[in-house]
Parts: sequence; structure tokens; C-alpha cells
Amino acid sequence: MKVETITLEKKYHDAVEHWRRHNLQDYDLLLKNWEKYFPKDEPFCLCAKMECGTPDTVAVGDHAGEKKRLKPDELTEEEATHLLAIIRAQASTEFGSIQQHAGTIERAQDEEDKYWVLRVMAEELRHGYQMFHLLLSQDWSKVSGGMKGEDMVEDILSMQTGSHVLDAFNLEYDSFIDNVCFAALVDRVGKYQLTMQRVCAYRPMADSMPPMLREEAFHLAAGVIPMRRWAKRAARGDVFITMEAIQKSVNKWFPRALEMFGDERGGSKNLSFGFKDMKNREAQDQYIDEVARMIRDINMRFLRARFPDDAVEKCEKVLDDLVTSRGKHQGVRFEDLIHLPDRRFFRRKGEPAWQMIGVDGVSYENIEDWLRYLSKHLPEPYMASRDMKMYAETLRKVVSGEYTVEDGIRKMPKLKRVGGNCPCSRSVRWVVEDTATTNGH
Amino acid sequence: MPEVQAGTRVRPLDELDLGAITRIDERITGQYRPETWEDRVGYYLRRDPDASKVVEVDGKVVGFMMGDVRDGEFGLEEPSGWIERFGIDPDHRGRDLGKVLFDAITAHFASQGVRTLRTLVNMNDKGVAGFLGAMGFKSSSLQALEMPIPSNPSAKA
Repeated sequence: MKVETITLEKKYHDAVEHWRRHNLQDYDLLLKNWEKYFPKDEPFCLCAKMECGTPDTVAVGDHAGEKKRLKPDELTEEEATHLLAIIRAQASTEFGSIQQHAGTIERAQDEEDKYWVLRVMAEELRHGYQMFHLLLSQDWSKVSGGMKGEDMVEDILSMQTGSHVLDAFNLEYDSFIDNVCFAALVDRVGKYQLTMQRVCAYRPMADSMPPMLREEAFHLAAGVIPMRRWAKRAARGDVFITMEAIQKSVNKWFPRALEMFGDERGGSKNLSFGFKDMKNREAQDQYIDEVARMIRDINMRFLRARFPDDAVEKCEKVLDDLVTSRGKHQGVRFEDLIHLPDRRFFRRKGEPAWQMIGVDGVSYENIEDWLRYLSKHLPEPYMASRDMKMYAETLRKVVSGEYTVEDGIRKMPKLKRVGGNCPCSRSVRWVVEDTATTNGH
Repeated sequence: MPEVQAGTRVRPLDELDLGAITRIDERITGQYRPETWEDRVGYYLRRDPDASKVVEVDGKVVGFMMGDVRDGEFGLEEPSGWIERFGIDPDHRGRDLGKVLFDAITAHFASQGVRTLRTLVNMNDKGVAGFLGAMGFKSSSLQALEMPIPSNPSAKA
């Protein structure tokens, strides 16, 4: 496996470094402590990485068997427009997740957990840089509405939490529990997208995926392993991070993660264009099965810590009995475990958008009863957020008929903030031709 | 000659295999060591997630093999593929699953340009030593040495 590394043109590389100084302020701390927390690992590189030797024929779709495309001009206008949107959305998620993590990373109770998340953030920065390479290394002007590469970079770097492309990246974290659950749930969707895109008919995109996937594997571990440790501690009576708190974070992120797959009924274009190898529902189904496995694993960790003298087979039976009976076993209740919410729970996009369906699949008719139900199942700080207020307002309009379901979908979330330029006084843009204005900053 | 079971699949290890790996280790050693495996899996996933493998039979993980490429240690400048931890569920032994894992991890190391595999083994563990010998490992001129630290190290000087 050979990988070619590429550095962006100086002004773009500097723009990303500038953005990083504002949004990933512990970057230098991460590099200083890299050897302590990641001994003998390859040093971090802010660069684009292109896998060499990948297949050069299209694997799926209408062009299966043909040579992969190397330039946007070799795609049809519709294909290029579609792919450009995917690349820009991907870039937005990478920078957006860094902004989310940054808000609560200092609240980590364990230094190792904090440095794992810092590494995740640095690698997301590299993934955003990778997408910039795709945007800047070829001419997309025929399908970008006249927007030049520089403008697309500026646009993405100017986004803040609230103005990113996908909803999951527009919600702030309420605590470090969100840093970890986000990695376990939302990065997992990222893994699916990157895996599907490995077959991309546009070769530079396909070649970008394997290095990103290798890094994403650690991001998932940076979610699941701390969740397992927290479950163990919770089983032993730890008061700081409870199973209930973890469950509420799962309830917050799981619906947004499902919506990242797009509408359950869609995805045909990606398949026919040869950009991905699965439609949305199929990918989402597999994801749900995988999250179910993860939750079972965390519950087993909990039970084995609670009943250390019991063999694994007995704990498995206890888990199965608790799930089936919803009862109790030696002081452990069904409610003490983590549960996968119904896939229609708290959805505002896709097939079940705006339905009031609980974590256990039970439907609600009355909005106030529904909102009270949500207040018991979502993190308290999140209930006090603007996003929840807007959700409730939009829901009332959908239920009353003032909005159609489609109207409601288009309304969420609109948390755009005014002004996305560099917050430092020396620059009005992220990308500057004259680096003298950033010297010493 | 044992044949590989139908329904067998080898794939890269991922973070959701922790439960299965811990369970296999528990069956082999009698010890429940989830923290040990959380450390090791986290380590291998961040270094090279494609290297370490698991083998599934009918969808259930029944074996694992962990390793990575290292260089620069003990004068070994050329990259070597190190095989560090592995285990097969006792109920699934004798079916060449260890070899299947070994072949997969070796192929991965070879794809990275590695020419030599290395490992350390306790020769008193006849099972592990026998398996590694069957795979082709031989004694190396590089030898593992150990000694206890004297209770008063400065007295030796």
C-alpha cells in the first residue's frame, strides 16, 4: 500500500493553518504530547494523502467497466454537480466536527480521553484539507455556479456551528459525553460514507478514501472504548458519568446520524453515477445493526462489571432476559442499560420526518405530551437550546397543517449566525495572497 | 488435513470486536481482562487498522491476530511485521483458522513492502510455539534477554 502525500498551494495551506489556530487551539499541545499518548505512531501530517494502485475501472452503476474519471470534465454535468455537492458537504462535516469538539473538550475527566479526541480533531482537519485538495486540484467552475476553488474554500472555512451543510454538525455538544458518543455514532456514519465512496467513479475521490478510512477506524475506537470504560464505572456506582447520561446523548445523536444517510427512499443517483455502492436505506439498515452490536457490547461491559463473579454466558442470558422482560435482575433494571432508540424517534428529515414516535416505537398524538416525553429522554442542556425551541415551533406548524412535512424539513435547522470571517482583526478572509498580514498571528 | 470451515471470513479487526476478543482470551486464559484488550485494540487501530485481523465462522468472531509494522528498534532498521497477540476459541481449533489469520496478516505486511516477520514466544508454551513453528518461524540470532533489577542497582557500579 503506497500513499502519495500532497501539500496545498501555500495560500490554502496557510488558510487551513490559520483556521486551525482559531478552532483547534490545543493543536500544539497535541503535537507536544504526541509521543506520550501515541508512542511510536507516525507523526501527524497536515497534508492530502492519495492511495496509489486503486482500481482504475468503475465498479458500479451506469458506467461500470469504464475507466474511472480523472477530471470533472470527464463527468456529465449532472454527475459533476452531484459530486461537487458531496465533496463540499464532506469538507463541511470535517471542519464542523472540530468546532463541535472544541466546545467541550476541556471537560474531559481523563487526560487520555482528551488526547484521543484531540487526535480525532487533528485528523478531521486533515480530512477537510483532503477535500480542499479535491476542490482545488481541478477546475469545477462549469458546475459550481461560477464559484472558484478559492471561494469554495473561503465559504467552507467561514462556516460555523449552525451553518454547516448537515444537521448533525450544527448542534453543539452539551458535555464531554457528547464528544465521545458523537465519535461512536456520527463518525460511524462517516465510516459508511467513506466506505461507499471507495468505489467512486471519480478516481481522485476514490483514492482519497483509504487513508481517511484508516484514520476513521481510530475515531470509532475513540468513541466506543471510553463508552465501555464509563459503563464499567457506572456499574460500580460511579456518579460522574451514568448510563442514563450516556443514553440521553445516544438519543440526541442517533436520529441525526440516521439522517446523514439521506432520505431512506433515496440514493439511486449515487449508485447509477458510480459514486457509491449502496442506496440510502441499505446503508442505514447496516448502520443500525452495527450500532445495535455496539450497544449490546457496552451493556455486557456493564453487566460483567456489576456481576464480576458471573460467567460471560450467564451475563449474556441476563442481558437477553432483561431486554425481553424489561424486568429486573439482582438490582439491575432494564432501564439501567443502554437501548437503541426506534429509528423513527425524534426525526425531522427522511421518511419518518416529524412523526412523534418514542424511543420504544410508541406514537404520541399530543404535542405537549410529546415535548414532555422528549424532556425526559434528551440531555437537559440540549432541551434548553435554540435547536429544540426551533424544533418545537416547527413541529407545531407541521401538526397544525400550516407547514407540510416538506416545509418542516426545509426549515431545520436554520441557526445561521451572522459573519463567518476570520475573527482576528488582521484579516477579512481566511485565504490571503499576502501572508505578511498573518505573520506573527 | 483439517479444512477451513465453510462460512469462514477473515476481515480487519474493529472496535466492536472487543467483546469477542475478551471472551476468547477468557476461554483460553481463564482471566477476564477487558482493560488489557481495550488498550491493545486502541493501540493497533490507531497504528494500522488494516493489519490486525479477526476470523468469523457463520458471523461469529472465533479468532484474532494482532500485529503491526515496526522499524528502528534494537538496530532493526528495516521494517518488520510483528505478530504480537493471537488466539482461537478452543471450540474452533484444529480447523486451520490460525493459518487463515496468519496468511491474511502476512499478506497485509507484504503489501507494505515488509520482507520479514518477527515475534517473541515463550518456548514453554508448546501450543503457541508449535503453531509459530508450523507457520515457518525459526529461531533468530536476535535473542530476548531478561534480568531482574538488583535491589540496590548502584552497588553494582
